[in-house]
Amino acid sequence: MIALRGRIAAQRIEGLDRDVWRIGDTTPSPDRAQMLRAGTIPVPGFGLFLVAHDAGILVNEPPGMSILLPIELSYVSTGDVIAITPDRTGVRVLWRTASPVNSVLLTEQCDNFCLMCSQPPRKVDDHWLLEQATELISMLDRDTSGLIFTGGEPTIFGSDFLELLSNCREQIPDAAIHVLTNGRRFSNQAFAEDYAAVAGRSVTAGIPIYGSEPSLHDFIVQADGAFNETVNGILNLAALGSPIELRVVLQKHTAPWIREIADFIARNLPFVDQVALMGLEMTGFARSNFNDVWIDPYDYADDLAEAARHLDSAGIPTAIYNHQLCLLDRSVWPLAVQSISDWKQEYEPICSGCEVREQCCGFFATGRRQVSAHIAPVMRTDPLEEAEPNLTIQEEFSYQTGASLVGLNSANGDIANPPLDDMQTTFVMITRKPESGDPE
Amino acid sequence: MTFHRLPAGRVVVANAAGEHVLLERSEFLELSEGRLEDLRLIRLLRSKHIIRDPADSLPVELLALKVRTRYAALAEFTKLHIFVVTLRCEHSCQYCQVSRRSSNREGYDMSEATAVAALDVAFRTPSSSLKIEFQGGEPLLNFELIQFIVQQAEQRALELDKDVSFVITTNLALLDDNVIRFCRTHDIGISTSLDGPRDIHNANRPRPGQNSWELAVEGIRRVQEELGHNSIAALMTTTEASLGRAVEIVDTYVELDLLDVFLRPISPYGLAIRSRSHLAYDVEAWLRFYSDGLSHILDLNRLGVPVVERYAAVILRKMLTNDESGYVDLRSPAGIGIAAIVYNYDGDVYASDEGRMLAEMADTTFRLGNLHEDQYEDFVLGEALLAPLDESFALSAPMCSECAFERYCGADPVYHHATTGDFLGRKPLSAFCQRNTGVFELLVERHHDDSFARGQFRKWASR
Amino acid sequence: MTAVSAHPEGVRVQLDAGGHSIDAIQRAAYRLCDRLSVEVTSNGDNWSCLVTSVDGCGPDPIDVADFRVEVIDQVLRERIRDSTEQTRNMILSLAFSGLVDQAPE
Repeated sequence: MIALRGRIAAQRIEGLDRDVWRIGDTTPSPDRAQMLRAGTIPVPGFGLFLVAHDAGILVNEPPGMSILLPIELSYVSTGDVIAITPDRTGVRVLWRTASPVNSVLLTEQCDNFCLMCSQPPRKVDDHWLLEQATELISMLDRDTSGLIFTGGEPTIFGSDFLELLSNCREQIPDAAIHVLTNGRRFSNQAFAEDYAAVAGRSVTAGIPIYGSEPSLHDFIVQADGAFNETVNGILNLAALGSPIELRVVLQKHTAPWIREIADFIARNLPFVDQVALMGLEMTGFARSNFNDVWIDPYDYADDLAEAARHLDSAGIPTAIYNHQLCLLDRSVWPLAVQSISDWKQEYEPICSGCEVREQCCGFFATGRRQVSAHIAPVMRTDPLEEAEPNLTIQEEFSYQTGASLVGLNSANGDIANPPLDDMQTTFVMITRKPESGDPE
Repeated sequence: MTFHRLPAGRVVVANAAGEHVLLERSEFLELSEGRLEDLRLIRLLRSKHIIRDPADSLPVELLALKVRTRYAALAEFTKLHIFVVTLRCEHSCQYCQVSRRSSNREGYDMSEATAVAALDVAFRTPSSSLKIEFQGGEPLLNFELIQFIVQQAEQRALELDKDVSFVITTNLALLDDNVIRFCRTHDIGISTSLDGPRDIHNANRPRPGQNSWELAVEGIRRVQEELGHNSIAALMTTTEASLGRAVEIVDTYVELDLLDVFLRPISPYGLAIRSRSHLAYDVEAWLRFYSDGLSHILDLNRLGVPVVERYAAVILRKMLTNDESGYVDLRSPAGIGIAAIVYNYDGDVYASDEGRMLAEMADTTFRLGNLHEDQYEDFVLGEALLAPLDESFALSAPMCSECAFERYCGADPVYHHATTGDFLGRKPLSAFCQRNTGVFELLVERHHDDSFARGQFRKWASR
Repeated sequence: MTAVSAHPEGVRVQLDAGGHSIDAIQRAAYRLCDRLSVEVTSNGDNWSCLVTSVDGCGPDPIDVADFRVEVIDQVLRERIRDSTEQTRNMILSLAFSGLVDQAPE
C-alpha cells in the first residue's frame, strides 16, 4: 500500500509562506520544490527542498528551506504535489502523476453518518483543506485529464465549493471531474442551479443511494429525511442536465434489498448516467461496525447479478466495483471494473494461480482484511464464452450494450479493462440502445 | 391504486403509473383493511408508490413524473402512415377482406396524384419520425409507385428535418433483383406472412400448385441473404387451425431464423356477430395457444436461442417501463389517428387498417375523409376521429377505469364498434377484454414466479 | 334500487330517480329498441318504466334483464365520464397539442 500522508522527519521551514508545493524538474523556480535523492545536486532557486529519507543529506544542507521526508513518502517525484499540514508536523501527498486517478479530500465534515463510512465524519473546521485544494488546482498541468473530489461532504462549503469548481473549469478545462456527494444540498433548487451552471457536463456527481424508500436509506445513513433530500437533489440535477452517477454499497442491510433498489432506480431514475454497485471497504466505520455491515458477497451473488442485469436491460450503464471475480455470477463479469485505487490494491496468496487475476479488482489493502470464505482462483480462460453459448446472437441484445464498454475483455478482445478515470469519460459516451420499431 | 384478483387467489395491485406488485391473498387483506405490520411488505409497497407516509410528498412527485413520461409521447402524434398502393393481388387467401383479383389497374391502383396528396398530409404530422408502410392487396404489383413515394418521402424528410423509415408488406412472390436493389439502397424493411408449418400456411393461402409455403420460405431466405436478417419480419394469421399447434409454429419461425414471433389473436373482422358462448370458447382456446407458444419461446431462450414474443414485448414495455408502445391496438387514448393513419388507393383516409377493412364490408364509420376533397384538419380534427377517441377513452370507461391492467391495455374502438356497434363496448362481454386480461395475468404471474422469464421480459421490454 | 312487477301490458321496472338519470334510462331503452319498447313516466321518487316487447308477445325475461344491465351500464358511463372529464380532456388535448403549430398549407 502506498502512503499518502506522514510525519515530517526533520524540517527547516521557518518563514515558509506556502504549504502546497509542486515538485519541479531541473529548472529552478521559487514556486517549485526540488526532490533530493542520494547523488542529486541541490539547485539554488527552488522555493523548497524535499529530502528523501535515504538521500544522506541533512535538512540544513540545501540552499533554501527544506523538509526531510519519512521513508513512506520518499517516492514522490517530478509533477507530484505535496502539502504541509497547518500545524507543520505532517506532509500529505495531494497529487501523484503516477496514479491513473487522483482523489482530492475537501473536508471530513458530513451531514450523513453512514454505518459503513470509510472516511468517518469529524466535527472540525477544516476549511484549510479546501484552500489547499484550490492551490493544488492552480499548480496542475492545464491538460490534466481528471480527478475526484471526496470528503466528508464537499458541498458543505457551499459557494466556496462552487468557486473551486469554477477554478477547475478555468484552469484544467479538459478534466473530467467526479464529486462524491450525498446530493442533499441539491434539493435546494437555487444551489442546484448554481452548481449546474458551473459544472456543465464536466463534473459528475457521484451520489450514494441505499434504499428504494426512506426507511432503509435513512437508517443506513443515520439521518432522517436524507432519502427524500437526496432523491429531490437527483431530480433537480437531472432537470438541469447535470451528469449523475448513483453508487450503491452492498452491505448487510442493502444486499438483501438490492433487487428492489435496482428496480427503483430503473423505474424512477432511469436518466442517470451510470450506476455503480460497490463492495465494502473495511475501514473507518465499516471496520468498527463490522458485525452490522459485513456480509459475504458469495451469499448475495444471485441477487446482485439480477439487479445488475435489470439496470443493464433498462439501458442504464452499470458497473460493479470492489467485487472479486470469483464471487460474481459469470453473467455480470463484463460489468466488473478495476475499481480499487492502485495505492491500496492487493491480492491474496491464493490468487497467484488465478487465470483472471489481471482483470480482477483484487482487495482493499486498507483496514481489516475480511475475505469471503469463497475466494478461489478461476481456472477457465475464456469466461465470457462459457456464460454465453451463442455469443454472436447475444451481441445484438441490450445485455451487451454500454456495459461491455466498461467491463472485461469482450469476446472481440479489443475492449481493454479501463481504470477508474477512463470510465469517467467513457460513461459519458455510452448511449442507450436506440428504439427499435414496434409491430404494425 | 387498483387491484385484480388472479384465478388462484393472489392479487395484483397497481399504481397510476402502471407499476404493480403481486400479493398473497393475506397480504392484500392486510393492505385493504389498513392493518399492515410486516416491515418488508410495508417497505415494498412504499417503494412501488402504492402507499406512502402522509407527510411524504416525494412518492406523489415521482408518480406524476412517471405518468407524464408515459403520456408525453402522445404529442408526437401520427407516426405510422399506411399507404395502400393497390388492391390487386394474385393470391386469394381465405380470410382476406380486401384484395381484388383483377388486372384493372386504374380501378384498384393508387395514382401519383393521390400519393402526392397523401404525402402532403403525412408530412403535416408533428412527429419527428415517420414510418411509411406499404400495404395492399399485393403492394409490389404497384412497385413504380412505391419507388415514387419513397423518393418523395426522403426528400420531404430532409427538408423538414424528420426521420423516415419504410416497410413493404408483401407475400414475396414478386421479389426480383430490381426490388431487392431498391430496398437495399433505401434501407426498406420487409414484412411478410408466415402462418406456421406448411399445412397451416397453405390451407390459409390456396394457390395453383399449393406451394404458397415454399414460395414464402424461399422469399424469406432470399431477403435474409440479400438484405440481412434484420430486414425481414414475419407475421402469422391465426385461425382456428392454428390453435393447438403453437409449438410447431414457433419452431417453424426459429428454423428460418425469424427470431421475432407475434402470436396474434384471431381477427374478428369479416365475421358475423357470434353468440356469447362461441366467443368464450375462442378466447379460452386462444389463451391456451398463447400460453403454449410463450412457454415454448421461453424454453428456447433457456437454450440460448433469443426468440422474442412480440405481443408480450409490447405489453411488457408498458408494464416494466415508463414508455408507451407504438402498437396501435393497445393504446389509450386509442391509436386510431393519433398513432396511425391509412391512405387508401382511392384517396379515402381511414383511422386504422381495421377501419379500412370495415369499409370494405360497407361500414365507413372510421373513414375520415378523402384526400381529394378534404384538408388535413378535416381528417384529424373531425368528428369521425374525435368521437371514437373520446368515447372509448379507457380511464372514463366502466371496468377499465378501475382495472389494475389499464396501463397495459388499450381502447380498441374499431373492434368494439365492429362487434357491438358501440365504440366502448361492454367489457364483461368483450373478447378483447377477456383475451387481454388472460395475457396480462399470464405475464404477471410468470414475471413474479420465474426468475429466468423475468430477466428475459426485462430485455424484451426495452427493445 | 329497482323493483320489477308484472303488468297487463308487459313488465314494470321501477328505478329510483336519485340513482338513475332520465338520460341514462333513455339511452338504455334506445339500445334495446330492436327488441323492447320502454315507456318512462315519473312516479314520485322513481322512474316507472313500462317494458313491452316490440312483437307484442310479452317481453322475454332475458331481454328485460338485458335492459336492467344496460341501464347500469349507461349510468356508470355517465358518472365515470363526469368524474374523469378533466383528466380525459387534459390527455386528449396533450395528444393534439402538436397540431397547434401547424400552419395550413
